[in-house]
Amino acid sequence: MFVGLLLSRYLNMSVEGQEAVTTVTPGQYILIEGNDDEYPFVAKLLKFFGDESHKQKKALVQWFLRLSEVPQNKKLLLGRSPHPQEIFYYLGRACDNEINAESILGTVHVRQDNSPPGTKDTLYVKLSWDTKAFNVLDPVLMQDTPASTPPKPALPLFPPCASPTATPVSRGPVRRALPTPDPTVMRRAGSVSDTRATMSAGKRSTLEISANDLLLCLSQEWATLMGVGATKESELIMMDCSCLFPVGSRSYFIYLDVIFVVLLTCLPVLRLHVSSVPESLPCREQEFQDIYNFVESKVMDGTGGCMYISGVPGTGKTATIHEVIRCLQHASDMDEIPTFRFIEINGMKMTDPHQAYVQILQKLTDQKVTADHAAALLEKRFSNPAPKKETTVLLVDELDLLWTRKQNVMYNLFDWPTRRHARLVVLTIANTMDLPERIMINRVASRLGLTRMSFQPYSFKQLQQIITSRLNKVKAFEEDALQLVSRKVAALSGDARRCLDICRRATEICEHSASHPSSTGLVRMSHVMEALDEMFSSSYITAIGCASLQEQLFLRAVIAEFRRLGLEEATFQQVFVQHRALSRVEGLQPISVSEGLAVCQRLGACRLLLLEASRLDMLQRVRLNVSQDDVLYALKAVRD
Amino acid sequence: MCTLSRQRKGSIHELVQMILRERFCHQRLPEKPVGMESQHKHLLELLRRTAVHGESNSVLIVGPRGSGKTMLLNCVLRELLEVKDVNKNVLPVHLNGLLQTDDRIALKEITRQLNLENVVGDKVFGSFAENLAFLLEALKKGDRSSSRPVLFILDEFDLFAHHKNQTLLYNLLDVSQSAQAPVAVIGLTCRLDVLELLEKRVKSRFSHRQIHLLSSLSFIQYLDNVRSQLSLPQDFPDTKFYDEWNDSIKTLCEDQSVVDVLQRHYNSSKDFRSLHLLLMLALSRVSASKPAIKPTDLLEASRVCMVDSKANILHGLSILELCLIIAMKHLNDIYEGEPFNFQMVHNEFKKFLQRKSHSIHNFDKPVVMKAFEHLQQLELIKSMDSSTAKIQKEYQLMKLLLDHSQIMEALQKYPQCPTDVKQWAMSAFG
Repeated sequence: MFVGLLLSRYLNMSVEGQEAVTTVTPGQYILIEGNDDEYPFVAKLLKFFGDESHKQKKALVQWFLRLSEVPQNKKLLLGRSPHPQEIFYYLGRACDNEINAESILGTVHVRQDNSPPGTKDTLYVKLSWDTKAFNVLDPVLMQDTPASTPPKPALPLFPPCASPTATPVSRGPVRRALPTPDPTVMRRAGSVSDTRATMSAGKRSTLEISANDLLLCLSQEWATLMGVGATKESELIMMDCSCLFPVGSRSYFIYLDVIFVVLLTCLPVLRLHVSSVPESLPCREQEFQDIYNFVESKVMDGTGGCMYISGVPGTGKTATIHEVIRCLQHASDMDEIPTFRFIEINGMKMTDPHQAYVQILQKLTDQKVTADHAAALLEKRFSNPAPKKETTVLLVDELDLLWTRKQNVMYNLFDWPTRRHARLVVLTIANTMDLPERIMINRVASRLGLTRMSFQPYSFKQLQQIITSRLNKVKAFEEDALQLVSRKVAALSGDARRCLDICRRATEICEHSASHPSSTGLVRMSHVMEALDEMFSSSYITAIGCASLQEQLFLRAVIAEFRRLGLEEATFQQVFVQHRALSRVEGLQPISVSEGLAVCQRLGACRLLLLEASRLDMLQRVRLNVSQDDVLYALKAVRD
Repeated sequence: MCTLSRQRKGSIHELVQMILRERFCHQRLPEKPVGMESQHKHLLELLRRTAVHGESNSVLIVGPRGSGKTMLLNCVLRELLEVKDVNKNVLPVHLNGLLQTDDRIALKEITRQLNLENVVGDKVFGSFAENLAFLLEALKKGDRSSSRPVLFILDEFDLFAHHKNQTLLYNLLDVSQSAQAPVAVIGLTCRLDVLELLEKRVKSRFSHRQIHLLSSLSFIQYLDNVRSQLSLPQDFPDTKFYDEWNDSIKTLCEDQSVVDVLQRHYNSSKDFRSLHLLLMLALSRVSASKPAIKPTDLLEASRVCMVDSKANILHGLSILELCLIIAMKHLNDIYEGEPFNFQMVHNEFKKFLQRKSHSIHNFDKPVVMKAFEHLQQLELIKSMDSSTAKIQKEYQLMKLLLDHSQIMEALQKYPQCPTDVKQWAMSAFG
């Protein structure tokens, strides 16, 4: 079938098309098998060659893209809707330009001119795409180049094609020296707002700043705070203020000052909301660097791998990974590393572990299929060599929920990265450190590998740093107050979310009490204490204090009966005897049995008591859900 | 003339009944929630932040049953929706743990109430997984300045924590903690330990704001509350009747016997629902011929409320069944509450017949058995064995679900109870 098998360079090659055997020669435009049967990849064949062992035939091609292959967020750059037959000359270098000859489907006509072609099979090309922008195609590039000529400077990092045998198929661009050590990358975004915050901090003392600057500064601040919607509001205030007071006069400045105080109080609340994306992630530099290095090296090499990340909730696992991806995406925009896809799934956000396949496939290709079909498609995608494949970075959050009895979901997720052509990096997150040992069977755990990382709960110093960095130099908390919050949370859980929630609540409390003339506007110890009390104090004691007389009496009866029995459990019947005796002592009219049961049920409903099912009626067993001492303390407090 | 005024009076009573019934039965919201001003302010401020500024939040309202959680929330919502902008924007979603028993149903209900694209008429299309993905996508697309805030109100919040994996709670709370569409998740529950039910990753996403509704209502306030609940509103059309009625209510609340009754109720529970039931029963005795609530009405209503639920069942028993109950009571005394079986009860009953009875004939054993089974059906006695099939009926172990005092009280009131049966019941040890 093939001519000249032993030659190292093939000039012709026949391909089994759908209907007939066609012959392709270098210089022709060809269709290449891809993920989408209807729209195969398009390329121009440059030449054939064989690999080292002469067993496989390879081809060197120049890629063309359809618009559907351009990343979603870049499609808009075209500025018009594309013609369905339009393709773009690919000037990037992230795609492998060697393909297996077997994957060629057939030939196609490609024209370069300005009018769209009339016939359906002809494609036309007008623009080139260099992963950043669409440009008008240089006609020189389209001229038939001899097969032996190395293709254009657009692929500078590839070894010269004259010695194609030396190039393994899966080889990516040469790896560059390892990464920008990165506090700078991390703070990159911070710098802009930093300067703004410094300006606003200085504002109060230096009233000499020209009024216009001040105005600008304030309205900017306001605009960023309130989002776009509120900008009008701030403009309104500004207009209002310049009408009322002559610009530059003393009262004008006082007015501005008032606005500034208002801003100061609402500012921390917004910054402290857990949802607000911080400019940098303090205290996770080491973890950031490790994950960054891991993912970057995999992306650069075009290989795959797994990483397991554990840590208690609220320690910044997901946030750190998002930050890493953001930085990497920035780097790939700057052309420092090849482009890659990032997909994220969350075990909690699906109804069934097998939905993971569906979600991954949907995010990769926008296809909607059933779980089984999706699994098959993904299997095919990751195990077959495909041209133009970019690395996929997959984040699996809440991994433990993907557990199934046969563990096939986890198995597949960890097995795909080990395939030769997969180019898949899997980052998994879960709460427990020993998850692989505890729930995974050996073959799954083994594939997960040993690249593990655990996020320690934040210490109080780190929490303090997090709040300070979030507040971004705006002084809203007294030093002691800040320390109290962070120490309290560090002692409890080290959960940054909790810490921020407490601070936010404390700021709110402070705001409400700000009407006192003595207050400085800063959040003080007392405010923090109040917030902590609200969130953490057990309400059992207050609940007992607020219970009705009969309910309190019943609790006393329960304790009395426990003491009599020497057990921490009694039936309602037994307790009720005590209850009746106690009400006689207290001089109250004894209540009927059904009323007593109602009292008991009420205490059970708010879980002061633990009860058996109510169908047991008088025989249901009663236990206390609070310690006896607490009950006695609460009851004593009531009587005093 | 006379008939005319009576007619008018009749209609006035209907009006009074209507106004007060609406308060007691239809949970009509009061003008202002009583005794929970600080909680009201806190919740209003919190929801206002979501509705106006688009700041996501989550909060739990915790309080015993009948303490006014829903009332507080509805008051706050009413006040919030009075603001015109808010009214147009805010999308409240009401869920109840007793109705939405799993996440699948809850999701459909959310989608239906939000009227998302996959709703046609009243039906929600798509599988569970699709619904979840769709809803999350819909919420994710939003941002704080442009999207309409959604208020998720989860009644019986603790029941949602029993759903598989707590998927719904995780996702709602996760949205409330990330920069997506502004949402407020408001949970209502009576369980004080509700936070312990949440899984740790769900718990971490909850803001830990809790509003406790523990009424520290004093009896004076309770009385005031009764008075204001029974009083007619100022915009009542007939001013003369309005004055008369409100005066009569005032004197009613000063009556000593009424105060005693109310004190008893107050001691038993501070729950507003049971109070409303009491007042409702008293109100139902008001008619055209009896234009005001009298103390006796309230006493009667209280008697109905307080009556033991098993007393009426006991009054309806036959003499034979009553005798069996007495026999069981004696067995309980002898064996200190250990379970008994039919054979033991029958023996005890036979002993009574042989020794003391003059008025009761001897019954055949099957008849006695039938009576015994009837008692079991009435759930006055309960089988202690779990596997009933294996043991013969006569030897199944049973326990009596009646208290000593309930039996004695029933005997006192039992119509034409033979004296020897009464004596047998009173005597110690059969």
